[in-house]
Amino acid sequence: MIDVNCYLGHFAFRQLRHNTADGLLRKMDAKGIEKAVVASAAAVTYRNAQSGNEELQREVKTHRDRLIPFAVINPGYAGWADDLKICRAEFGMSGVRLHPGWHNYRLADACCRELVNAAAKHEMPVSIPIRVEDNRQRHWLVDVPDVPLKEVTDLVKACPAATFILAAGGGFTRCALGKKQNSLPQNYYIEICRLSALLGNELGQLVDNIGPERLLFGTGMPFHYPDPAMLKLKVLDIAEADKEKIRRTNAAKLLDC
Amino acid sequence: MKRREFLTAAAGIGISGALAVGESPAGDKEKRPEKKTLAVESINADTPVIDAHAHLFHRSSATWKEMDRRLVEAADKLGIDKLCCSILTPKRPATAEGFRECNRWMADGVKRFPGRVLGYCYVNPTHSKEALREIRRCVEERDFIGIKLYNEHRCTDAVLYPIVELAIELRVPILHHAGHMNFFLESQPNISDGSHLSELARRYPEAMLICAHVGGGGDWEWEIKSLRNAPSVYLDTSGSVIDEGMVEMCVDVLGADRVLFACDNSMTAGRGKLAGAELSETDRRKLLGLNMQKILKKREQS
Repeated sequence: MIDVNCYLGHFAFRQLRHNTADGLLRKMDAKGIEKAVVASAAAVTYRNAQSGNEELQREVKTHRDRLIPFAVINPGYAGWADDLKICRAEFGMSGVRLHPGWHNYRLADACCRELVNAAAKHEMPVSIPIRVEDNRQRHWLVDVPDVPLKEVTDLVKACPAATFILAAGGGFTRCALGKKQNSLPQNYYIEICRLSALLGNELGQLVDNIGPERLLFGTGMPFHYPDPAMLKLKVLDIAEADKEKIRRTNAAKLLDC
Repeated sequence: MKRREFLTAAAGIGISGALAVGESPAGDKEKRPEKKTLAVESINADTPVIDAHAHLFHRSSATWKEMDRRLVEAADKLGIDKLCCSILTPKRPATAEGFRECNRWMADGVKRFPGRVLGYCYVNPTHSKEALREIRRCVEERDFIGIKLYNEHRCTDAVLYPIVELAIELRVPILHHAGHMNFFLESQPNISDGSHLSELARRYPEAMLICAHVGGGGDWEWEIKSLRNAPSVYLDTSGSVIDEGMVEMCVDVLGADRVLFACDNSMTAGRGKLAGAELSETDRRKLLGLNMQKILKKREQS
């Protein structure tokens, strides 16, 4: 399995466990997860997100065979273009992660489009967590709603050369992103950790609507237990070959790993 | 110790399977789907797995029957032996006729899925006389296993006291909707949280109170801590929030005897977080069903 949605480091509003490279790798071993995309949890709330990327780089540098770092870039913050270059050229980071709500910009902002296009030039996929944690448990100091799927839809349309990973989201089948023949560029993948696989079965609907090739396994560790995402794949009533695409093959192709 | 790979799953999940089992009229026993094994976790074979908080679907929805069937089918796949269900009115506060209608449908659901679905009696305490009459009817004549209260009143409101006293007399639990937000929740001004349930428990220490869905959205660390000194209050693990460490904190702070496995219809989230929690086998068995089984036996022993 390849997990495309993990974090390392501290989060400002809740103590995380298994949030070091060693801790996460132990958890991955216990669950049979071979590789994981990781991004800095601290960079979600650091003013200067690059400090989080530097921490991440130090944490993963001896584990690059299994941990694939993505750079958290805030396009509203001074020096982001330099940070992106450093993360790509010096740190060898494979992708970019955006937190528009936490970093106080919109996906429609010109600076965001500029960052996404720069990531595309570097052939770095852009991961957008629709949420980091459930907004209803928010700290009294912050109120960060989920990233609106309408804004995500506009972004994937506006930046066809970029590749997106839409993580920790739900409700895709109620908007164009999850509809069949939606006329959007096929430049986005949807990660499964918050999709229903029974009752509403949004995951099954997405397999039908956009195909198993566009879905990726992810857990949200160490914020989340990994087991719900694993269980979704187990109970999903599709061919084993299609499950394998979601579990591993799609991510291996996308991340060239 | 004899163990088994737990779980079963319907052989055909899709729409065709739905039609095969969904054609019997309401009130008839539903056919059970074919089974195949599916491992969720390895637990002792005699461990009952009881979902302490679930819902059948209100019949104002055109798909209620199909969704009821899917819920039981999901339980089959996830190795859940029994679902403790209520039906709520879609619009609240519920009228007396509204909750009576829900409970009639709930009684029908218990018949349609014998041995799998158990009923909670849902009432709105505003309608006190009707609520008390309805609870007694549902428990004594329909074998419902408890009372479900939502957010029409905060649980410390005196209007609840006769209901709690009746629950004590009938030896059934009250499953109370709850959640703690660090902001005012405009849509639910009377929502209760763990501190309110603790206060109610101090007034009625012999009542069996279940604080609903620690993972239902809210500050779950606050919720758990608020219940620490209320030994007669249970906490159910349901809700869509799957934050790592949540179940372990419930057990660490409250003790394994006070935590109940539940999904509140978030099926893979509910079952997955239990599978992922780092618990001893003894504690896992308590959470999965032994604790709820003890609660259910209180009524049987009366």
